[in-house]
Amino acid sequence: MIDSNDPRLTAYVLGEMTAEEAEEFALLLAGDTRARDEVAAIRDTAAALRQGLAAEATPCLTEDQRAAIHRAAGRRPTPARVRGWRLLAFAGAAAAACLVCVLATHTWRRARVRPGAALEMALSPAPGAAGDEEVKKRAIPTAAAESLTAPALRQDLAAAVERPLAQEAGPAPTASPEAYDIRAIVAAPADGAHGGVPGPVPAAKTWSMRTPDVINGLAPARSRAGGERPAMPSLTGKPEAVAPVRVRREMADAFLALGQATPEREAAPARRLAEDVTEDQAPNREAYDHIRDNPFRNVADEPLSTFSIDVDTASYSNLRRFLSNGQRPPPDAVRIEELVNYFRYDYPPPRDGKAFAVHADTASCPWKPAHRLVRIGLKGRVPEPGARPPANLVFLVDVSGSMRPPDKLPLLVQGMKMLVNQLGESDRVAMAVYAGASGLVLPSTPAGNRGEILAALDRLQAGGSTNGGAGIELAYRVATENRVEGGINRVILATDGDFNVGVTDRGSLTRMIEEKARTGVFLTVLGFGTGNIQDATMEQLADRGNGAYAYIDSEREARKVLVEQVGATLHTIAKDVKIQVEFNPTRVTAYRLIGYENRILANQDFHDDTKDAGEIGAGHTVTAFYEVVPAGTEPPAGIAGVDGLRYQTPRTITAAAAGNELLTVKLRHKQPDADTSELQEIPVPDDSRSWESTPDDFQFASAVALFGMVLRHSPYAGEAGLDMVLELAAPAARHDPHGNRTEFLELVRKAKTLVQR
Amino acid sequence: MPEPQPDHAQWIRDALQTHEHSLLQYAGRLLRGDTDRARDVVQDTFLKLCRQPREKIDDHLAQWLFTVCRNRAFEILRKEGRMTPLNDSDLAVRAAEAPDPAAGALRRDRLSAVVALLGELPERQQELIRLKFHSNLSYKEISGIMDLSVSNVGYLLHTGMRTLRRRLGEMETQTRESLP
Repeated sequence: MIDSNDPRLTAYVLGEMTAEEAEEFALLLAGDTRARDEVAAIRDTAAALRQGLAAEATPCLTEDQRAAIHRAAGRRPTPARVRGWRLLAFAGAAAAACLVCVLATHTWRRARVRPGAALEMALSPAPGAAGDEEVKKRAIPTAAAESLTAPALRQDLAAAVERPLAQEAGPAPTASPEAYDIRAIVAAPADGAHGGVPGPVPAAKTWSMRTPDVINGLAPARSRAGGERPAMPSLTGKPEAVAPVRVRREMADAFLALGQATPEREAAPARRLAEDVTEDQAPNREAYDHIRDNPFRNVADEPLSTFSIDVDTASYSNLRRFLSNGQRPPPDAVRIEELVNYFRYDYPPPRDGKAFAVHADTASCPWKPAHRLVRIGLKGRVPEPGARPPANLVFLVDVSGSMRPPDKLPLLVQGMKMLVNQLGESDRVAMAVYAGASGLVLPSTPAGNRGEILAALDRLQAGGSTNGGAGIELAYRVATENRVEGGINRVILATDGDFNVGVTDRGSLTRMIEEKARTGVFLTVLGFGTGNIQDATMEQLADRGNGAYAYIDSEREARKVLVEQVGATLHTIAKDVKIQVEFNPTRVTAYRLIGYENRILANQDFHDDTKDAGEIGAGHTVTAFYEVVPAGTEPPAGIAGVDGLRYQTPRTITAAAAGNELLTVKLRHKQPDADTSELQEIPVPDDSRSWESTPDDFQFASAVALFGMVLRHSPYAGEAGLDMVLELAAPAARHDPHGNRTEFLELVRKAKTLVQR
Repeated sequence: MPEPQPDHAQWIRDALQTHEHSLLQYAGRLLRGDTDRARDVVQDTFLKLCRQPREKIDDHLAQWLFTVCRNRAFEILRKEGRMTPLNDSDLAVRAAEAPDPAAGALRRDRLSAVVALLGELPERQQELIRLKFHSNLSYKEISGIMDLSVSNVGYLLHTGMRTLRRRLGEMETQTRESLP
């Protein structure tokens, strides 16, 4: 008889015996039922402990601490944190081959132990580094100023550096003394030797005056410069995707290196920048791209407004997480269109067999009564129940160490199980994982073998670094191999987005995804967790991969995305859906698109079928708002238009402009497997309706849009605040079968308490 | 800046990748949840590792890292007078610090319940169980880190696991009974 207090029982289970001991003990066990039960129980407890402890939240070292270690190890860290752009940018600057105007956003954590540790890293390519603190203060100014030739340009740039900062100053959303942002504009001189770039100075002026246009203006300017310029990851022709606004630490590091190479100190404004941002604390390693609210546009100059639809909802659930934790979300984490589109609106579905129905209506603008609010609503076709085509799904699960906390991998497993339970006999599921390496943990399996799939999910464990690139390759390969013609072929990527091994720079990742998307396999990105969400990476991957991005912060959200709206999540009914609005100059002076800042398309891209745009799923609704300044109303400041032209007369007005139409909505989409688009046009008359008389859905959606504007500190929110959001939303939240609208009201109230503190 | 030593650097990088989370977790527990300090301790540990010749450490790397980390953490606690040495019998009767963590965890699942109950064990047993099941170290490595004999490690681990199992069983019975 083995006593239950005998520690050998545990040692046996844990493999802590020599081979002979174990053999001997096994013999003893063979004749002892109670001890065998004991062993089984120990096994059980051990497994529970292993899994339970693995699910605990694990902290990470700060990047600077890691950098300090790598430096001490005698070599710069290669795989994880040094991405391609830094070198490219460095080389590019050194060559000074073109005018480079860059808005850099850099979230950078100071080392607790040794301030400036990361900085040393950045400087290491150039010998003779100055003292840490010294360089930190001066690197950017000199980088900005030194490389400029024309004093006038220098001033413009200084002003440009100052302006965004001034606007963004203000209370830090959440406090941690660990991090700060650097935004800088750097210009390298364009001298005659560089292929005759005409007028770099005016160009720079334009960019600095209207920051959103930095995005639009940059791509053509750079391509004009031409030459051997190192190509920064230019993602596609889509203007909003051009790298510079998305530049983060790599570029900033390069600037620091530049500054160090020419250690002169002037450009006081830029130095102030460095000081200001030290106080502007970012919460953690979460990364968001900078968003600037769409400005008002003058209809006489720009009658067309073009954008891609966006069915993502991640920003709302992310915002909910912030508010629930008692923090205001950083303004750049708030994407208004994703807030608005989080909610379900009852637009009538299409009846004529079309992929979707388009609705447009207008009302007075509640936060600016002299303006009109135009709502454009799309509703995807709702397939008959059971008519969903068979699905070939590949789960691609991030099991890296950062996925260990309970709100990541465990929640993910839970969510995936919900999804598996929605699948039918004709569907298939495969599962690949990636961490430091990647592998297929479940070959494509009929969804009928539910037990097998669920067991594979249960076996997932987190550990290691994150090589997303290799995993993506594998997942798409499996999806292609098991392709269902006419069915749903989709990779579902579940991650916190922190790719740190292998292909890590966002440019390469998105290019890779874009290429994969051409195979007809769609992508869904499910974001998980807190603390190091790489929101921008995930959003962009989904955008480029013909897919949607949802952020799962709770079991409830998992249920919404993977159960209630599973049809919309899986079943794409139209792709590359683009909206172009033409405004009638006799009725409208100016307009402003609310949200969709990173979905803006160039007007000519509308009828260019090679240009990618958003997808719409079965039963999905998409809503967009324009704030419109009617003719005869005083135009908003700053859009008075340009001086008269010498060689052209203004456009002539057509007969159609004389009618009651405010605008025409033009819409293009492709069938999921088609290459050419179909066009729909819907003229929208102004019915002079007041906001109060609009349906609940209109009222609620506009309240959500206003909420986003207030949280973003949008200059266009005017005097409106959270009180007005509540006032507008409350009556419209009466009909609320899913409880989402009630929850919204609670979030607004929560936000109010945080603002007033 | 030292001369680049690719092998050494790679070795450090691998060590960091393998042990970073596990060490942070460990240091965090020892330092009563002070994550920032835990980070400092772990950074110090790796900086110290950088100065070691690989051949001296490589065959007991994990043990070395955890030992250095533990000593460093205790040093900090001692300096701040936060060290409260308690023997196992004292701790056995000490209530858990969190208000009834187990009950709260029940609604989640058994895994979290086990972790919550673990928090009620004597600290030394907790440390040992974590080193075993979270950091995957062997009895021998643990004995080196915690300065115990191997048989003592085996005994404490077995006892800790038994207590855990008994309490888990009690809790599950209670839950079943409290259900209508």
